Amino acid sequence: MTNRTVRSGLWLAVLAVPAVVFFLVFSYAPLAGLVVAFKEFDISKGIFGSPWNGLANFRYFFSSGDAQRILLNTIVLNVLFLAATLAAGVTLAIMLNEIRGRFFKRAAQSTIFFPYFVSPVVIAIMLQVLLSGPNGSGGVVNDALTGFGLPTVDWYTEPGPWPWILTFVKVWQLGGYMSVIFLAAITSIPEDVYEAGQIDGASRAQMALRITLPLLKPTAAVLLVLGVGRIFYGDLGTIYAIVGDNGTLFPTTDVIDTYVFRSLRQIGDFGTTAAIGLFQSVVGFVLVSAAVLIQRRYSKETSLL
Amino acid sequence: MPATSPAGLSRRGFLAAGGGLSLAAAFGLSACGGSSTAGSGKSADTLALLLPGDAPKGWDAVLAKVNDKLKNDLGFTIAPQFIAWSNYQQQSLLKFTAGENFDTALQARWLNMVQLVASKSLVPVGELIAKYPNLSKNLDPQLLEQNKWKGKLYGIPQVNSAARFHHFSLRQDLADKLGFGDITSFDQLEKYWYDVKQKQKITPVGVSSNMPKLLVAFAPVGWLNQHDWENPHVSVQSFSGGSFPFYLAQDGKSTGSAHPIPFWEAPGVVDALRKVRQYYLDGIINKDALNVDSSTIQSQFEAGRIATRWAMTDGLSSQSLAPLRKAVPSAQLANVVPLRGGKDAKPNQTFQADNFVVLNVKGQSNERAMQLEDWVSIKENHDLLSYGIEGTDWKPVGTDKFEQLTGYGFPGYALCWRQKLELKIKDITPTENAWFEWAQNYANFTLDPYASFVPDVTPVKRQDSQVAAAMTQYGNPLWIGAVDVDKGLDTLKKAVDKAGLADLQAEMDKQANAYLKGQ
Repeated sequence: MTNRTVRSGLWLAVLAVPAVVFFLVFSYAPLAGLVVAFKEFDISKGIFGSPWNGLANFRYFFSSGDAQRILLNTIVLNVLFLAATLAAGVTLAIMLNEIRGRFFKRAAQSTIFFPYFVSPVVIAIMLQVLLSGPNGSGGVVNDALTGFGLPTVDWYTEPGPWPWILTFVKVWQLGGYMSVIFLAAITSIPEDVYEAGQIDGASRAQMALRITLPLLKPTAAVLLVLGVGRIFYGDLGTIYAIVGDNGTLFPTTDVIDTYVFRSLRQIGDFGTTAAIGLFQSVVGFVLVSAAVLIQRRYSKETSLL
Repeated sequence: MPATSPAGLSRRGFLAAGGGLSLAAAFGLSACGGSSTAGSGKSADTLALLLPGDAPKGWDAVLAKVNDKLKNDLGFTIAPQFIAWSNYQQQSLLKFTAGENFDTALQARWLNMVQLVASKSLVPVGELIAKYPNLSKNLDPQLLEQNKWKGKLYGIPQVNSAARFHHFSLRQDLADKLGFGDITSFDQLEKYWYDVKQKQKITPVGVSSNMPKLLVAFAPVGWLNQHDWENPHVSVQSFSGGSFPFYLAQDGKSTGSAHPIPFWEAPGVVDALRKVRQYYLDGIINKDALNVDSSTIQSQFEAGRIATRWAMTDGLSSQSLAPLRKAVPSAQLANVVPLRGGKDAKPNQTFQADNFVVLNVKGQSNERAMQLEDWVSIKENHDLLSYGIEGTDWKPVGTDKFEQLTGYGFPGYALCWRQKLELKIKDITPTENAWFEWAQNYANFTLDPYASFVPDVTPVKRQDSQVAAAMTQYGNPLWIGAVDVDKGLDTLKKAVDKAGLADLQAEMDKQANAYLKGQ
């Protein structure tokens, strides 16, 4: 190894220092705090002075009787969110791609992207107006149901429809965002592929189904793996802003994140919440590793690792 | 471009460099963590206070004046942080648990005080009070004595009357219109609600998401529990604010046994649950009660969309009259306490304050926090913080009233309520004034047999946490009537049994009996 290559390598390492320090300080150093999951946390003694309590904090979660329901909700809701937002993103991207008027295309794109910037709190208020109206009596949706001669629904005490309501909210929020990613992928499809399709006599619909859709598979696969990695993070912001501490909706809406957040807020027990959080991270890590391995096996060329 | 690791720096070298940086970062962090003051980035000259609700209108001007005066008088200033009521209980607990170094906070048994005392997060203030003359002369010795827990005072009681008694504030103009006149009994109240629903098309009773636990099983009366209004002599105890309510025997002192029973076994409770369920189904209670916060209920009431809301004997309900009259010019308010026997009923009272200013053990300066409490016990300072700038926000009316000139409204109960210094609002309604005066006199109440009993949650902390979680999920919907009573109660019983109700009951029995023995 020459002095020159050593020098150039060192300079590259120096360039990496800010990023390395950033991750060490903000991502790795806080990992030490995970020790609290195995301790009977006492504020006056601090994290390291508090006594060890083995797996008692984990037992709290698994013996509560809530674990099974919460795990199931987390998986079901996130699979619904992931599938629906991916499908909506692809569909919207193909539809936007077919729009010829440049101004109209831009306007449509901006309009469907806008909900991405709307705060979950605002979404919660909008939903409340739509579903329950002032003081919980009425709401636009119930007015519409009455108009069609259907019975009204007490939306905020009826857990059944909520996975679908939340999925609808996620699609409204993220559909436009996803479509932009897919649109970018569509623009990278070589023009001559479409020309070949045209020569073969394919209609626009056939070209969308037979050319665009298959060529979006790698992008969808990457987004899917990223989504699977986050499957154990139940989108606290949106769900909590909408559901809050409304216990009647917990059977279908309580996910690990909201459970952890509620436990910490109500009980103030760091040990228990850290234990649930650690469990959540470990399962998330296992899931993302499995997703990457499966993707490598079936589609090596688009694999992330 | 060649990869860094293979071409220049070896993988081992790279890891070594990373490890070195990691250690440096760890040492750096530990150096930062050595001093809480330095770590917070705050100066010890500025005390951080946690207050509930939203900052009052005109707050900046009042705070500037308060800080100018404080700086001159004591050499420090304050930086209060307002936390919305809907989050106050949880966020304040979280801040204590996380070891944040704020100085004072509003706390109470109905918030998190029991947990905070158990976790040694609060500074005992009993012996400190005597060192501060303005503070001690404004706190009744009887008040200090009755608010001790196992001989220690963990917060400065904030009261403006002897007893705190919740009741109803309602639209008297509607009552007059519907032919009721003065409402004095629960039966009349109920009829009023149904008439309002039928003839006025507004929500008869406003309930917010932090009220479920006081609707049915509460001492000495559940707000919507008719049996309690007719028999206001129950003692209810929980291990923590959101936990499970046990009813204790009223004859415990003579028998020596507190005999705690789950709330559903107490007389009248299941009937009250069924009644509340009927109210919910009939639209007497707002159907979004599990979601809506107290400030929304207040604004709905002041906009004329709700006919009845919760009130306390603190003289504050009449403050809604002016904003209400902007929406409904002919509006009138009345405070209704539907006790059987009226003002002679002598309901139970623990005389424990509903609100305390507590000192955080992790605060920057507990001494300055006490100096602040002493400073706001001086009339001029008390009035500035409580009512705003004289001449701008308020003006005195006689010796015991004030006229509000702006919308300034400070949560005095979280910092500066002193019974001897409080002024009444000029427009206090006759009914509120009468019940407020009634609450000033200790002789109008029966001393609760468990007045200064405060259960220690430590031995059953885990069970209490799990039961509290079950109560949020299954208790709150049951209490506001959102679920069928039989089905809801059955589900709740199964959940709390699994969470450790038997352990809680046995521990409550043990501690309450020990308390009775020590009386």
